Formats: sequence, C-alpha cells, structure tokens
Amino acid sequence: MSGTFALMNTLAYIIYLLITYLVTVRVGFIFYRNGRLFILNLLHQDAALTDFINKILLVGYYLLNLGYAALMLTTWDTIHTWTELLSSITAMTGKILLTLALIHFCNMTGIYFISKRDQSITHSKI
Amino acid sequence: MQTSYNFMAYLIYLPVVILLTWYVAHTLFKNSKVFMLDIFGGKAEIAGATNKLFETGFYLLNLGFAFWVMTIAVDIASNRRLLEILSTKIGGFCIYLGIMLFFNLYLFFRGRRISKEKARLATVPVPPPAIS
Repeated sequence: MSGTFALMNTLAYIIYLLITYLVTVRVGFIFYRNGRLFILNLLHQDAALTDFINKILLVGYYLLNLGYAALMLTTWDTIHTWTELLSSITAMTGKILLTLALIHFCNMTGIYFISKRDQSITHSKI
Repeated sequence: MQTSYNFMAYLIYLPVVILLTWYVAHTLFKNSKVFMLDIFGGKAEIAGATNKLFETGFYLLNLGFAFWVMTIAVDIASNRRLLEILSTKIGGFCIYLGIMLFFNLYLFFRGRRISKEKARLATVPVPPPAIS
C-alpha cells in the first residue's frame, strides 16, 4: 500500500509543478511585456539599458518563483485518496498564486514610490 | 465511497469560483480603461499597461485565495450537507470578491481625483507673492 501512496504524491508533484510552471511563465511574460514601459520611463527613455534590465528581471523572477515552488514540495503531506490529491494540489497552487500576487503588488508599490519621487511617469513636464 | 461527496463538492466549487473571478475581473477591467486614461492624462500606452498589470494581480490574488480556502475538512455525508457547505463556501467567496471589487473601484476613483487635482493645480497660474 505504501507504494501506491508514494505514487500518488509523485503524481501530485508532477501536476503541481506543471501548473506552477505554466502560470509562472505566462504571468512572467505578461509582466515582461507591460513592465517595460515603466522601466523605460524611470530610466529616461534609455531603450538598450531598459531591455537589458527587463530581461535580467524576468530571469530573476523565474528563478525566484520556480525555486520557491520547488521548495514548497518538502512541506507536502502524504496523500492517501484522490480527494486529498485534488484538494492538496489546489491549496498549494493557491498559496503559490497568493505569493505571486503579494510580490506583484509589492513591486507595483515600489514602482509607484520611485516614480512619485521621479515624477516622470504620471506627469511628465506639464 | 464515503468521500465521493467531498470530491463532488470540489468539482462543483472549482468551476464556479473560476467563472466568477473571470466574470468580475473581465467586467471590472474592461470598464477601468476609462479611469486609467483619466489617471494618466490620456496616455494610452501606459494606461493600458497599468490596467493589464492590475488585472493580472487581481486574477492572481482572487484565484489564489479561492484555491487556498477550497479544502473541506469534514466528511460530507449527505446531499443536504453538500448543498449547505457549498453555499457557505461560494457565498463567502462572493462576499470577498465583492469587497475586492469595491476596493478596486475606490482606488480608481481616488487616483482619478488626485490626478484631476494635480492637473488643475498645474494649469492655474501661481499668484505672485503679496508685497507687504
């Protein structure tokens, strides 16, 4: 029976990592595309430096999130039934999504404060 | 098959919350374009980018919360319990979603007010200091 349990945990890890990977890459790409404008404004329209920094930020974001998602595997309970499989995958994915949201809003608050100091995004030379 | 009701509850809960979140986010961020254009003084590019970033954050936050609170700790023994527990879960999530919606609307209105005040201050010429 313990063999079946181990198999179920492995199955849960595979599904969980797949979902996390898809969400992270997709969300990262959305941030990459839409965040470029903000960095461009903060760096006073220096396009080359902006693209460079943006790419570095994207890679850092991938490393942070995928690493965090992989780390969370160690906190997983042993799964006995299909119901537990579904509920634990959903709960863990929910935690990852909440963490992503938290980091995202922290970043946006940071950008807001930097741009407020800079005053170049919202009201450039009225 | 004593846990079949729990499984059924999850299978009902998940599509409902995903559809609800999608509907609310879609409605909110389709209409928030106007606010963003006002806030950023008609700059369409940065308004669109900010709108998209807020939308993604909204999805992450609400779906994450919905998934996180999904687990039902008790064994559901009957149809009646299934309906009661599901209505509690989905009703609670609806209230949470409504609060998030109004919070977002508050942020939009606040941003628009601040940006309008700034624009008015910028256009009104500063009166010369009074000579005593």
